[in-house]
Amino acid sequence: MIRRPLRPLARILKARERGENPDAIERENLRLRHEEARDRSRSRAEGRLLVLGAAFALVFGTVGLRMAAMAGAPAEEPRATAGGNPIIAQRADITDRKGRVLATNLDTYALYAQPPQMVDPVRSARELAAIFPELDEEELLEDFTGPRKFLWIRKQISPEQRQAVHDIGDPGLLFGPREMRIYPNGPVAAHILGGASYGREGVSSAEVIGVAGVERRFDAYLRDPANEGAPLQLSLDLSVQAAVEEVLAGGMNLLNARGAAAVLMEADSGEIVAMASLPDFDPNNRPRPLTQGSPADSPLFNRMVQGVYELGSVFKIFTVAQGLEMGLVKPSTMIDTKGPMTWGRFRIRDFHDYGPELSVTDVIVESSNIGTSRIALMFGAEKQREFLDKLGMLEPTEVEMVEAPTGKPLLPAQWSEISTMTISYGHGLSVSPLHLAAGYATLANGGLKVTPTLLHDAARGPGERVVSEETAAASRAMLRAVVSRGTASLGDVEGYEVGGKTGTADKPRENGGGYYDDKVIATFAGMFPALDPKYVFVVTFDEPVETTGSIPRRTAGWTAVPVAAEMIRRTAPLLGLRPQVEGAPEQGISLAAN
Amino acid sequence: MSYLETNAKYVPSGPRKLLYLNWPVIVLLCAVAGFGFLMLYSVAGGESARWMMPQIKRFGVGLVAMIVVAMVPIWFWRNMALLGYAGSLALLVAVDLVGEVGMGAQRWIDLGPLRLQPSELMKVALVMLLAAYYDWLPLRKTSHPFWVLLPVGLIVAPTMLTLAQPDLGTALLLLIGGATVMFAAGVHWGYFLTVIAAGVGTVYAVFASRGTSWQLLKDYQYRRIDTFIDPSNDPLGAGYHITQAKIALGSGGWTGRGFMQGTQSRLNFLPEKHTDFIFTTLAEEFGFVGASTLLGLYALICLFCLVSAIGNRDRFAALVTLGIAMTFFLFFAVNMSMVMGLAPVVGVPLPMVSYGGSAMLVLLLAFGIVQSAHVHKPR
Repeated sequence: MIRRPLRPLARILKARERGENPDAIERENLRLRHEEARDRSRSRAEGRLLVLGAAFALVFGTVGLRMAAMAGAPAEEPRATAGGNPIIAQRADITDRKGRVLATNLDTYALYAQPPQMVDPVRSARELAAIFPELDEEELLEDFTGPRKFLWIRKQISPEQRQAVHDIGDPGLLFGPREMRIYPNGPVAAHILGGASYGREGVSSAEVIGVAGVERRFDAYLRDPANEGAPLQLSLDLSVQAAVEEVLAGGMNLLNARGAAAVLMEADSGEIVAMASLPDFDPNNRPRPLTQGSPADSPLFNRMVQGVYELGSVFKIFTVAQGLEMGLVKPSTMIDTKGPMTWGRFRIRDFHDYGPELSVTDVIVESSNIGTSRIALMFGAEKQREFLDKLGMLEPTEVEMVEAPTGKPLLPAQWSEISTMTISYGHGLSVSPLHLAAGYATLANGGLKVTPTLLHDAARGPGERVVSEETAAASRAMLRAVVSRGTASLGDVEGYEVGGKTGTADKPRENGGGYYDDKVIATFAGMFPALDPKYVFVVTFDEPVETTGSIPRRTAGWTAVPVAAEMIRRTAPLLGLRPQVEGAPEQGISLAAN
Repeated sequence: MSYLETNAKYVPSGPRKLLYLNWPVIVLLCAVAGFGFLMLYSVAGGESARWMMPQIKRFGVGLVAMIVVAMVPIWFWRNMALLGYAGSLALLVAVDLVGEVGMGAQRWIDLGPLRLQPSELMKVALVMLLAAYYDWLPLRKTSHPFWVLLPVGLIVAPTMLTLAQPDLGTALLLLIGGATVMFAAGVHWGYFLTVIAAGVGTVYAVFASRGTSWQLLKDYQYRRIDTFIDPSNDPLGAGYHITQAKIALGSGGWTGRGFMQGTQSRLNFLPEKHTDFIFTTLAEEFGFVGASTLLGLYALICLFCLVSAIGNRDRFAALVTLGIAMTFFLFFAVNMSMVMGLAPVVGVPLPMVSYGGSAMLVLLLAFGIVQSAHVHKPR
């Protein structure tokens, strides 16, 4: 760029010649130079302004387009949950097999306070303390006048309490709707249902979550809105369940037992019709877990599913069934039962001395430990383990409760020959009573494996075959003989042929080292009607003592058996089984005929 | 010696100045404020005394003040620029010492009858000082590094003070408003590109370092940034405003629910419904038509200012007009983006519409300077 000279000599000389002031030329040139610079900066500034203008236009356009997009979008209505993750309410009901409600919901309210909005904290605190006696007026007042902006007062209040609080009329006292899980039958089926409590909690709603039992196991299903409130139907029968619990509780009382458990199961399908564990609890007010001592002492402990015990002689029928199935013995085969039987440094004794020989049937009927040990030695450890595994005795049951996996059978560290012998009569292997019921169901239904279930009409095919029909039938005949002429004679129920096997197992000492002399687990496992069983049952007592006789009696024949008989007497009619007896002469009709 | 003082061919004087005011801008400002009055009446549930009447009074006072400012020659304001900046800066410092805490941030200073937000004052003072600076600075020095660093310092000082209050929105406005004046004054492109590149680089580094061994911020700081950028992560906390605003905008549809028929604001779903989030009420009640009308009014105000700036050969006058127009533009651009979920919530009111005296008064005074520049431009 050529700068304009301020004092061009030629023009100045010319101006001088004309007698003009040459400074005017300089001023003129200076002005022109200024204007040129200014024009350059102006054109540059205008370019910049255009850029700014374009930026303006861009932002206006974006905002306008966004506005149009939002205006065109379908309207979202205001929601009480304010757009957060809505807490899913309305948990599905749980019913028994006949549709009777076991668990349902109740709409209630939570009471909370927003102290900044309170008009008269003093009066509100006083009146609240009058409505809820467990609240302390002074503490409330402290909370209301302190810096807190929000506080829960009660999580659940009754309609009467709500009205009373409403009548205080303070705008700082507010109610939040709540869904409350209730179990209308109280403690009936408590362990199966488990219980529920609140999860995430907001002012306008709270999440109800299952904490145990089927409530927890089926939590996702029960909360899934896609099920549209379809109830969860269990295989339980509420009236049978109630009867079982009542009889069991009565038995536990009479026998001074620490605990008791019972199950009643369909032999074919494995559907559990009733299952009880005592002591129990009310799921509406679920107790806290024990912080010390054994969890098995808590009422929350489900002895039927979680508890694993050495159940004793009830296992003998499995040993005999395996012997029959493998063709090693027949019911009439004579077994050497001369005692005591010594094996290395171990001695195996019988309760009584049964003489030198017993038939296989009589080994079961008389419950000879030596007899079953001899049979078990015929097939050995490997085969025994295989057979028990096929029966499902070595894995936790698959029943639909979160607690089921904790009921894991305790196997011997080394399945030696001595283990084989003790397991043959139910010692050295700890399983849950539910395992036992499933094993008996296999013998009852003709030899097919049974998986216990709590769901009604669960679509599942028949289990795999464990033993043949013939073996199952022969086993059933022996179990029937136990009741008709053996250790379980008190278990005979007129009209319903009961078959079963008793088991009285000494309790192992908690701190290891041997067994108690005076503490037993008494069990009666069986089926009815014995010739074509529809149901299997297990009744077991923890430390029962029968004291009506001259000496205290603890064996299952005196404890579990009579209770089981009473249970069958009560429940069989409820289950729709006809008694198989001759009816009394129909006198009324014959009189009318006369 | 400004070009203007030596070269003004004709400058109106006395009451004739009224004729030379930029009347379209005044009419537009009144229209925008009118929208505001309607909305304040509506969000108060049909009660005029609550927000509308005080707002009308303030607007009236502000309008008169604007015209008074417009009557004063523009070169007087140019000479006052440095004083105004120094005073505002002093107030900003004072607010840290004696300021009142309002809404969790220290922003206000009590001057007896007038509760003042010095950061508002600073927005105008900064633009004026920068315009005066570039008017004073010889053109050829505009892009000289030293003469660039000086105005950068002038911008950064109040920005930092505002950020410390903390008032992110105003800090942002100060920064961009100041940068705009520098840009319009002709500072070399390179500086802006460098700063933008550095900013983007820093942000990138901060995010790239996340989860690595050289992580630049703490985890909770990242979480805050996450929520800040995408408030839908936290719908009951920071995202609450925006969720509700979106609902309001969506339910307004094209023509709106009708005056006084809005539900979101009436049912108290929206906090700050009469201040920063008043636009949602407008959008809900007047729909897209109403909202775009308001947008159009704002656009026209900016356009008239831009035209006035281009037509003004005085450097200070042009720059100050542009800077104030930009500040005004930033106000509503940030506010609307924030309400519509395009930008994070930073707490910037909708200019002339949101309830609040400080911001409106300062804006009207600023427009007084724009008017003064228009009246006293060389013709």
